[in-house]
Amino acid sequence: MKTRRDREHARRGLWRHLRVGLRDRVILLFGLLGLVLTAALALTVWLLVSRYLVNQRMNTVVDEARFNAASVQSGLGQYGLSVPEVMDRLATSRSSFALLNTDGEWYASAPRQGPRSLPSDLVRLVHSGVPATQRVDVEGQLLIAVGLPLDRSGDAYFELFQLDDLNRALSILSLTLVGAALAVSVVAMAFGRVVTRLALRPLAELTSVASAVARGDLGARLHGEDDPDLGGLARSFNHTADLLQRRVAADIRFAGDVSHELRTPLTTMLNSLELVQHRRAELPGSVREPLDLLSEDLRRFSRLVVDLIDISRYDGQPGGDREEVRIVDLVRAAADATAGRPVTTVEPAAKDLVVHADKRRLERVVANLVENAELHGRGCLRVCVDAEGESVRIAVEDAGPGVPVEQRDRIFERFARTGPRRVGGVGLGLAIVASHVSWHGGRIWVEDREGGGARFVVSLPAEEV
Amino acid sequence: MDAVERHTWVVPRTVLLVEDDDRVRRALRLALEDEGFAVDEAATGEDGLQRVSASQPDVVLLDVMLPDTDGFSVCRQLRRISDVPVIMVTARTDSHDVVAGLEAGADDYVTKPLVAKELSARIRALLRRAATAGENGHPHRRIAAGELVIEPDQGLVTRDGEPLALTRTEFRLLVELATAEGRVRSREQLLDTVWGYDYFGDSRIVDVHVARLRAKVERDPAHPKHVITARGLGYRLAV
Repeated sequence: MKTRRDREHARRGLWRHLRVGLRDRVILLFGLLGLVLTAALALTVWLLVSRYLVNQRMNTVVDEARFNAASVQSGLGQYGLSVPEVMDRLATSRSSFALLNTDGEWYASAPRQGPRSLPSDLVRLVHSGVPATQRVDVEGQLLIAVGLPLDRSGDAYFELFQLDDLNRALSILSLTLVGAALAVSVVAMAFGRVVTRLALRPLAELTSVASAVARGDLGARLHGEDDPDLGGLARSFNHTADLLQRRVAADIRFAGDVSHELRTPLTTMLNSLELVQHRRAELPGSVREPLDLLSEDLRRFSRLVVDLIDISRYDGQPGGDREEVRIVDLVRAAADATAGRPVTTVEPAAKDLVVHADKRRLERVVANLVENAELHGRGCLRVCVDAEGESVRIAVEDAGPGVPVEQRDRIFERFARTGPRRVGGVGLGLAIVASHVSWHGGRIWVEDREGGGARFVVSLPAEEV
Repeated sequence: MDAVERHTWVVPRTVLLVEDDDRVRRALRLALEDEGFAVDEAATGEDGLQRVSASQPDVVLLDVMLPDTDGFSVCRQLRRISDVPVIMVTARTDSHDVVAGLEAGADDYVTKPLVAKELSARIRALLRRAATAGENGHPHRRIAAGELVIEPDQGLVTRDGEPLALTRTEFRLLVELATAEGRVRSREQLLDTVWGYDYFGDSRIVDVHVARLRAKVERDPAHPKHVITARGLGYRLAV
């Protein structure tokens, strides 16, 4: 059984499927409401008016027919006139004609008319002595047939009235009503547009302020804290933004403090140890191994501290130094320097591409990816720079075991470990890469290299010089 | 090369360490001595300035964080009395510290944790002579560029006959641009030839030095006539 929530979900799903926005939905509903209401109103008006007009007309034509029937009766009976004479004397208007059935013969006041123009039910009824009227629809035209029995049994007088003017009036009325209904729905939609714009304006402001905060402009705030309807939202949003701003400022301060506090003793340790390493040959063999362990891990620790400070510092910083950088030069220099050998290949299409970039961060991206390939991917095979539409693609390929599909997103998280492959590596390098790439408005992902190994791909917005 | 120059690798160059943390200073002294430098120490900015005038070090390593005053103002005061190369030690690489240090007159910067081996490479790069004319076989070369006359071997630059006071690194930058004979030198090339960075050099070092150089050689630094920016490419010297 479908619950209410399921139905709700299905309904929303439909809207989403049709890709109709909230505003368009409201406008459509306004239009639909206008259409339904005015259509109902128009239908009522049409029914009432047409019934009234037809009834009115019915009374007139019955009177007229009665008068004519009496005149036929008296013409044939009292004055002994012939049928054509009687018919001539009839006061039929242009919009009606008469049929007379006497002595079993039919006479018509107009050419090409006969008993076939009359409904047979009506004829039967009148012949049985009952006066009757009936509306007849002949080729879309509404006619009124009136039948009256005459004194002589078997005789009857019929008159058919054309309702041209009434039909015209009714069709004008229906056109007007349909037009009015459509006009009202259009007006309702326009009204819906205005109303939704007014109602959604605070939402639009909220969207722009929220995205400003998301971009890193932590000082952005919503106006209208004194608005009775929106004040609550504005106040709670601004309060959240205040907290966020304070928190970020505290984080940055903390990172700065940690930076100084950790870097200073590291400097002492690194330099003292370097000195000892220089005297390695003078040391007894038994301390050489612990010394190597110590210096290797101190180096790693130092790198980790620098990375950690780096990543926390850039987290809270929207700005930075941007300049136009020929991406090919930067990648070649950074990749070759990190690998210690030429590894860069450049596709001709990428040759003149320029990226609006913070050079140091982008160098870090390339260097970290190459370093990752060297340490964890059994060596960097090549770094390929290619153009792809409006962007440049930098692909770093290695011959390692590759990255399993389920870990391809996690690998860019801080301190991600992906099994035995990353033995000895505490992963901040790729997290820094991901953070710098997204700061440049780019994307990074990892895929399989044809023929084994991993392929880390960075895509950055670029333009031709 | 003359006789004095040939002795530079024999007589140890003196590095003045201005650093408040006692243990860092001791460790750096030991490691730098191990790299072949003589080391002089100062724990405060005040002390550092006195040592500069008293013992004439070849290079100053100046920590930004000092107990009495910040490293930037020490650097500015130091520039009034000496053209000695200064390497700033910053805790951070973000814009403010680096640019402020370079604008205060530092020649280069390093970030903590610094290792003596890398540090000595930076020091040696700064102590190299300006693009030596001797190697090209023109011992007494004079280069004229507009109103400027540069004599690389004498370490002299004059504007309309009047000598200009450049620091050693500013002078080397100017000579490097002058030897390009009007061609553009990219920031990377300048970082390589003047500061000895093979790569991963910070191009802000070049930009701030160019600004400092313009302040000295241009009559109107806002509208430079000598040191011209080639947008997106680098710098050149108008000849």
